[in-house]
Amino acid sequence: MSEPVMRRTQSGQAENLFRSLQSPLAKTLSLCTVLSVLAFAVAPVQAESADQPAAAYSIESAKAKHSLLVDVSRAGKRLVAVGERGHILYSDDEGSEWQQAKVPSRVLLTSVYFVDDQYGWAVGHDATILATQDGGANWTEQFRDIEREEGAPFLDVWFKDRQHGLVVGAYGALLETNDGGASWEEVGDRLENDDGFHLNAITAVKDAGILVVGEMGMMFRSADGGETWETLQSPYDGSLFGVLGTAQPSTVLAYGLRGHMFRSTDFGDSWQPVKIEAGRNGLQVSLSGGSLLADGSVVVVGNGGVVLKSDDDGQSFSVAGRPDRLSLAGVTANAQGNLVLVGQGGVRVASPTGLNLGQQ
Amino acid sequence: MSKHRQDNATFLERLIFNNRPVVILLCALVTVFLSYHALQIRPSTSFEKMIPLSHPFIQNMIKHQNDLANLGNTVRISVEAKDGDIFNKEYMETLRQIHDEAFYINGVDRSGLKSLWSPSVRWTEVTEEGFDGGEVIPQTYDGSEESLNELRSNVLKSGQIGRLVANNFKSAIVDVPLQESYPDPDDQSKLVKLDYQKFSHELEEKIRAKYQAQNPNVEIHIVGFAKKVGDLIDGLMAVVAFFGIAFVITLVMLYWFTWCIRSTISVLVTTLIAVIWQLGLVRLVGFGIDPYSMLVPFLIFAIGISHGVQKINGIALQSGEADNALTAARRTFRQLFLPGMIAILADAIGFIALLIIDIGVIHELAIGASIGVAVIVFTNLILLPVAISYLGISKKAIERSKRDAVREHPFWRFLANVAHPTVAPIVVVVALAGGVGAFFYQKAHLQVGDLDQGAPELRPDSRYNLDNDFIVSNYSTSSDVLVVMVKTAPEGCSTHMAMAPIDELTWKMENTPGVQSAVSLVTVSKQVIKGSNEGSLKWETLARNQDVLNSSIARAEGMYNSDCSLAPVMVFLNDHKAETLKRAVKAVQEFAEENNRDGLEFILASGNAGIEAATNEVISASELTMLGLVYAWVAVMCLITFRSIPATICIVLPLVLTSVLGNALMAFLGIGMKVATLPVIALGVGIGVDYGIYIYSRLESFLRAGLPLQEAYYETLKSTGKAVLFTGLCLAIGVATWIFSAIKFQADMGLMLTFMFLVNMIGAMLLLPALARFLINTEKLAGKAGGSLLAH
Repeated sequence: MSEPVMRRTQSGQAENLFRSLQSPLAKTLSLCTVLSVLAFAVAPVQAESADQPAAAYSIESAKAKHSLLVDVSRAGKRLVAVGERGHILYSDDEGSEWQQAKVPSRVLLTSVYFVDDQYGWAVGHDATILATQDGGANWTEQFRDIEREEGAPFLDVWFKDRQHGLVVGAYGALLETNDGGASWEEVGDRLENDDGFHLNAITAVKDAGILVVGEMGMMFRSADGGETWETLQSPYDGSLFGVLGTAQPSTVLAYGLRGHMFRSTDFGDSWQPVKIEAGRNGLQVSLSGGSLLADGSVVVVGNGGVVLKSDDDGQSFSVAGRPDRLSLAGVTANAQGNLVLVGQGGVRVASPTGLNLGQQ
Repeated sequence: MSKHRQDNATFLERLIFNNRPVVILLCALVTVFLSYHALQIRPSTSFEKMIPLSHPFIQNMIKHQNDLANLGNTVRISVEAKDGDIFNKEYMETLRQIHDEAFYINGVDRSGLKSLWSPSVRWTEVTEEGFDGGEVIPQTYDGSEESLNELRSNVLKSGQIGRLVANNFKSAIVDVPLQESYPDPDDQSKLVKLDYQKFSHELEEKIRAKYQAQNPNVEIHIVGFAKKVGDLIDGLMAVVAFFGIAFVITLVMLYWFTWCIRSTISVLVTTLIAVIWQLGLVRLVGFGIDPYSMLVPFLIFAIGISHGVQKINGIALQSGEADNALTAARRTFRQLFLPGMIAILADAIGFIALLIIDIGVIHELAIGASIGVAVIVFTNLILLPVAISYLGISKKAIERSKRDAVREHPFWRFLANVAHPTVAPIVVVVALAGGVGAFFYQKAHLQVGDLDQGAPELRPDSRYNLDNDFIVSNYSTSSDVLVVMVKTAPEGCSTHMAMAPIDELTWKMENTPGVQSAVSLVTVSKQVIKGSNEGSLKWETLARNQDVLNSSIARAEGMYNSDCSLAPVMVFLNDHKAETLKRAVKAVQEFAEENNRDGLEFILASGNAGIEAATNEVISASELTMLGLVYAWVAVMCLITFRSIPATICIVLPLVLTSVLGNALMAFLGIGMKVATLPVIALGVGIGVDYGIYIYSRLESFLRAGLPLQEAYYETLKSTGKAVLFTGLCLAIGVATWIFSAIKFQADMGLMLTFMFLVNMIGAMLLLPALARFLINTEKLAGKAGGSLLAH
């Protein structure tokens, strides 16, 4: 285990900075100072309050890939997973080897999103927003505020393009940027959420707009990229942890506590429960994360190692229970069509149905 | 000898031999008195005496003992289903009965007893309304297929897999916490101290034997400190039988050596008296018998026999010339009292040097052994000759020793060749090569600490360790725990300012090689916070809100003390090898250095691994000092005795060689340098020097008489070779029976001491004369009156 601070400076900006500091003065600077200078130099950090010290870098550890990871995403050919202690891992070989990224944070990161193979964002606890411009190898801090709701977490992030993005989080947090994250604006009051329920997830729905779900079955949609929001009539009053647009226009899935899943084909005007065949009592575990795969199929994962897969845009799902029963929080697929699962116990590559490879 | 010294000796001799009845009577009275006390000696396995009390780790542990109360004094009974899994009616019924049976064993902390059958073992589930939960085995359980299915799903939801239920569902645990003292069942107002041996026997009878017989499909595995101590005490008792075996073998050998039943009995009886006196005195000092000091009676017996043999040998030789037994005994006394005293002083100092090691059991061993050798002065140097002066030695034995004195001895003749001008260099070179080789081998391979898995006190294949293996491999747990104590201001342990660094330490430790996992109140806190956020993994981290943190640890029993000023971080290790311990300790110390501040302190150490780490540090620190002291003293003794530096080198070098070879043997056998083996080296050197002193004093007297070296050595061997050989065998037999002890470290001690005694003897017999070829100027010695203390 070692502090990775000096290890990797692949980012061109960082290297230039170090080169330009090859003076006797630079040598007298402590490493910490160098890094905080680095952080301030490459990223506008408007929300950083003056008395808040720069966050420590995450610690490089061989065990990071077995630590709690809660989201995984594709950045072009690369896989990127995020999780506890500021761990961001990336794989360039479809999930067999993972490298640890250089991350100026040690908090639990809850979500990661890439608009292309270079630009991506990750959010997490202490109201942290991190950004990368090199496909996830090096990250900078864009926003952090431990005073904000006592460090309550941001829970999901979505970007339309390299400039325009939205972040949702605990206690009704909704933040918007129109400059690639250089500045973030609090826009939570655009929603009708006076009680400040957690906003758990955000997704784009094909040919329709964006949809946000949260605590107590809260559902909001926006057809104009987040300017104005409409509160939807929810089919459920328990927590919804995830929302996922499918390959079909206006078709979206929302899922949450105790195996509840709902499907709408009209951008949320009406919802139908998705019946999942799983034993006598039905599926009882929470569904926490999902992905629309390149081939148009939909995968949703949840607690207790449950993996749901649909090849008909979410009308019906096959169910697999992983024998280790470790809770899962995120999923994507690799180039071979195998699933890349994250959750308790870190990241693992599983068969297309979610079971262990070689166990079919 | 000078006139002056002879007068002294004569005075003592007169005092003793003119008052023989008084000597016998006094000894008899003392024996009766001390027998009474010796009989009251009890096994004592005080935990505190086995650990280095003044080491800072241990001091910290003791200081916070009350805060960490009941951290670990539990016994775990794992009930294994041999066929199938635990989800069947018969199995669950047996588990229930075992749970109930354990409840009624005295000393069990009934409120903490835990198994699947405890109402306190619950499952929880997050629902729309919040938490849902219930007993893992509900009131409606009836053993039917349906209720077994319900049980299975409850177990899965309970989070007990790896704790109360094995990872493979083939066994379940009954967790039995113990009370150090409990109310007397007959008189509730009195407290009874938990008797570990009795408790351990009850577990065997009432649980293991009973239920394995009752349900042939179960196998029971029991681990825990109390069980281990119980097994240790049982092992200790078995060692008493070894004393009997050593006694019988010695008796046979003594008779073979003396061919005289009278002297055989005299030597055995006086030596037994020495053992009784030693035990009685040790009891009077207030010590008990523990697995370490158990060695002392064996050693005293062996040392006593070897001195007795030399006395008998002397008396037999003298009897050839003297007209009666009394005169022979007096002459032998005059001749052997002083060398005997010197040898005993050397022994005693070997023991005293052990006081350097700051561990209670070793102190008791050192003091007990010193008392023991002092006692030998009275019994075997004084009482034995007096007794023989009455009994005499059989005619047959006297004639045999007379014949031996003039007969040619081909074996000794052959052995004397080691002093031959061409053989001697070969012997020295071989010894040197062996020594250097062994030195580098042991330097590379010898480790500090216990190296075996499981309970190091017991053998790897003992039932306890097999049970331990079973539990370690089937449950998410390790038996080697290093506890870091995190000290905060009162009510401070649940603050973010304390918990965040604890979390970091946990992660740092988990990333340290040799660490399996680390657990603290933060581990619990994160789970509870996740739970209260509807089980979402996105919340499985510390909150900054103080109320959330407070309530998150409310149910983390045992993870912090009553006023929340101390929280243990439990670091589970792969093993307790010295290297693993050192690495873990270093990682904690580095972390403490960076993170200790006002109101937050990371303190080492508790847990069995913490104690072992402290013990290892003490051993590493005292090893060299102790060896230095022992060798310095032995060298001084030799210098005083022989007034010659070459002679001292001749005697000490073979001892050094033996020590090095001993270390190499330990490295080869995978025995670590530990509390049990450290005394071995001191004892080996202290007792081993006897051979050298004895052989060299004879050799010198023959050299003075003008004999060439090889011839002088032949004469030396002829007169004392047999006695030396016999002494070596006696000492070795005394301790060799230990190799079969159920207690691993006793077996290691027995093996190492046997090796040291035998190799020291061989070294003295082969290497000493070869070295003399190079170091001793025989021409200078020849015909010169001796300056030596032992010159005749």
